[in-house]
Amino acid sequence: MNPFTSKVLAVMRREFMQRVKTKWFLVSTLGIPLLMVGMMVLAGVFISSAQEAEEVVAIGVIDASGRIGDLMVEEMLADSILASRVAELDEATEQEVRRALPQSDYDVFVRVPADVVEGGEDPVRIFGRDNVLDTTTDDTRDALRRALLRARLAESGVEEVNAERLLAYPSMRTVTVSASGEARSQEMFQAISLLIAFFFYMILLIYGQMIIRSVIEEKASDIVEVMVSSLRPWELMLGKIVGVGAVGLAQIGVWALVLTVAGIFGLSAGAAALAAQGIPLPAFSIPWGTLSLVLLLLVLGYLLYAGMFAAAGATISNETDAQQVAFPVTMLIIVPFIAVQGIITSPNAPWAVVMSIIPFFSPLVMPPRLFLTSVPIWQVAASILVLVGCVLGAAWVAGRIYRVGILMKGQRANLPEVIRWVRHG
Amino acid sequence: MAYPPYSGYHRRVTTPAIRLEGVRKQFGKKVAVRNLDLEVPQGAIYGLIGPNGAGKTTSIRMMLDIIGPDGGTVEIFGSRDIVSQRHRIGYLPEERGLYAKMTVLEHLIFFGELRGMKRRDAKDEAVRGLVEVGLEENRDDKVEALSKGMAQKIQFLATILHKPDLLVLDEPFSGLDPLNVDLFKGMVLERQREGATLLFSTHLIEDAERLCEYVCMIAGATKVLDGRIAEVKAAAGLNSIAMAFEGDGRFLQASPNVERVADHGRYVEVRLRDRADPQDLLERAVRDGVRISRFELVEPSLREIFIEKATEAGVSTEDAPDTEEVVAA
Repeated sequence: MNPFTSKVLAVMRREFMQRVKTKWFLVSTLGIPLLMVGMMVLAGVFISSAQEAEEVVAIGVIDASGRIGDLMVEEMLADSILASRVAELDEATEQEVRRALPQSDYDVFVRVPADVVEGGEDPVRIFGRDNVLDTTTDDTRDALRRALLRARLAESGVEEVNAERLLAYPSMRTVTVSASGEARSQEMFQAISLLIAFFFYMILLIYGQMIIRSVIEEKASDIVEVMVSSLRPWELMLGKIVGVGAVGLAQIGVWALVLTVAGIFGLSAGAAALAAQGIPLPAFSIPWGTLSLVLLLLVLGYLLYAGMFAAAGATISNETDAQQVAFPVTMLIIVPFIAVQGIITSPNAPWAVVMSIIPFFSPLVMPPRLFLTSVPIWQVAASILVLVGCVLGAAWVAGRIYRVGILMKGQRANLPEVIRWVRHG
Repeated sequence: MAYPPYSGYHRRVTTPAIRLEGVRKQFGKKVAVRNLDLEVPQGAIYGLIGPNGAGKTTSIRMMLDIIGPDGGTVEIFGSRDIVSQRHRIGYLPEERGLYAKMTVLEHLIFFGELRGMKRRDAKDEAVRGLVEVGLEENRDDKVEALSKGMAQKIQFLATILHKPDLLVLDEPFSGLDPLNVDLFKGMVLERQREGATLLFSTHLIEDAERLCEYVCMIAGATKVLDGRIAEVKAAAGLNSIAMAFEGDGRFLQASPNVERVADHGRYVEVRLRDRADPQDLLERAVRDGVRISRFELVEPSLREIFIEKATEAGVSTEDAPDTEEVVAA
């Protein structure tokens, strides 16, 4: 039997058109990507202006060992860092060094401990007038490493060395390999997983509220009785859920388009920048199979939660109760949303496997696993089968709650009452 | 009036439009409808009468399968699959509303589609209907911008847009604009003359008395009586007197032949005991020096019959149907 009769289609179209025509839809659909792009641009502006504002830092090297200070200054100068020895403080205590800094011409003192060449436990201390920049710390570490290498090699009789060449090492990149031998970039899929989880979570919260409000609107405006005299309550519920869901899909579609366009621009600009520096971009192919599986999970997840929201809406008569009945359902969504943050780093943890099969969690938990690891086929099958079963079961329960609830007025129904509706229809 | 040729209420010539048999419904411990049997012949105007809370709305909801009965059977045009018959029904519930944000035309098309019409047909009918009720100018207005009277017209139109064979109207005239009452009566009676069956519920017994050929009276979840009004009245006998007079009405209480007196304002309706002679009452009145301007032997009003039957059946008449609400004295 085809559940999408012309009556259900009429309800769907109404729910869709009424929402798409609102200002809210226009503002949120176009506004959110603009906001995101705007925030990215703003962040970029701040970062680049911070880099421009970076001043030349004068480093004074204090060497308690007396054996490495000159080598460090030499290495720093080789890196075009403004540095010189402050030999008069080599014997000073830490407290004296701290007192001396404000009176000196230096921005930063680097104090190397006495047993540094022997590999002692004492740390190298960096004193700064202001906040010590990460670049200063990094530069110091590089120079120290090379200076130490040279000092230690000199002890074993090797005089002239090019420490920079000796210490040169390539950068590293992790690649996860799927069962079929395809490479996938871990970081990119971690980011995509988080993005999907975030959007799905937002969509559920926003559209869940929308479904609840739509159910209450029909109750409050006394229209629901005409509706259920024309079509079955579950048909009305189905029309509503799919109609509101279509609004969400339309919105995501627009967002995806904007993100894709922005992404292509961003990537080509980024690739050009990387290519200019001689770094090749890793080859990236879109895993269509995984994506369609993820889409299926998300659609099923939406249906499951939307049904619960519709049933919740049927138990109340006014908007002030809406937050309250939505709360338990919302809590169920928050759990997998939080879990995703852990799953992207350990997608094969036992709890991740279990959660990816539990129907209320799987729509959010399974996608990152599919992206980041090779999920055994039985787990995928189990996850989807359980989810489909649960969607049907929830639709049945929600349909019964809905059928009784939508004709009820006044007080919010309590739990025993709702259970009676489900049992007796 | 073009009724199909029925020779009697209980003899089925054609399939009845509505048939209930032993229908009952209970909400928790409260019995809403107790073993209701009724039959609405096709083409009839049928009134479902009872005080508020008697079970009228619950009965109607079960006729439309909005709620399922706990027991008994419901048939619409001979079919127990009511959902399959819904496109033939036009239902106006007591609590009726519209979507505030939709335009008038969108709304009518939407309701037409819900009743199984094609979108194009629904639009044609809606445009025609709007002209008929004088709202063609408002077709692109949002519903929230309409006056209450205009919104009521949209509700009527939505109810009959798909030319239903059966009109089910729950308290259709309550809360209506006086002008809309006539408009709406005209619209539904036109449908009825074209062959549709009309069932409506009311707590105003005089509405039913004026409009209906058949009635079913319920009180306290129980049917009190049903049938053709003419037959119901004939069975009750001609022992009521409509009387108008000036002077002291004490003779009415004093007479042993008087069972009950109902004050209708300009006249009183006096119900006599069985086989009592009206002449006795007239004599008493004259003896008391009362000036009589009307003394007429009449059929009892439906209201009188209702109270009598309800008392016989042991149903409380505390909440008997209201008498007509007099708008202006």
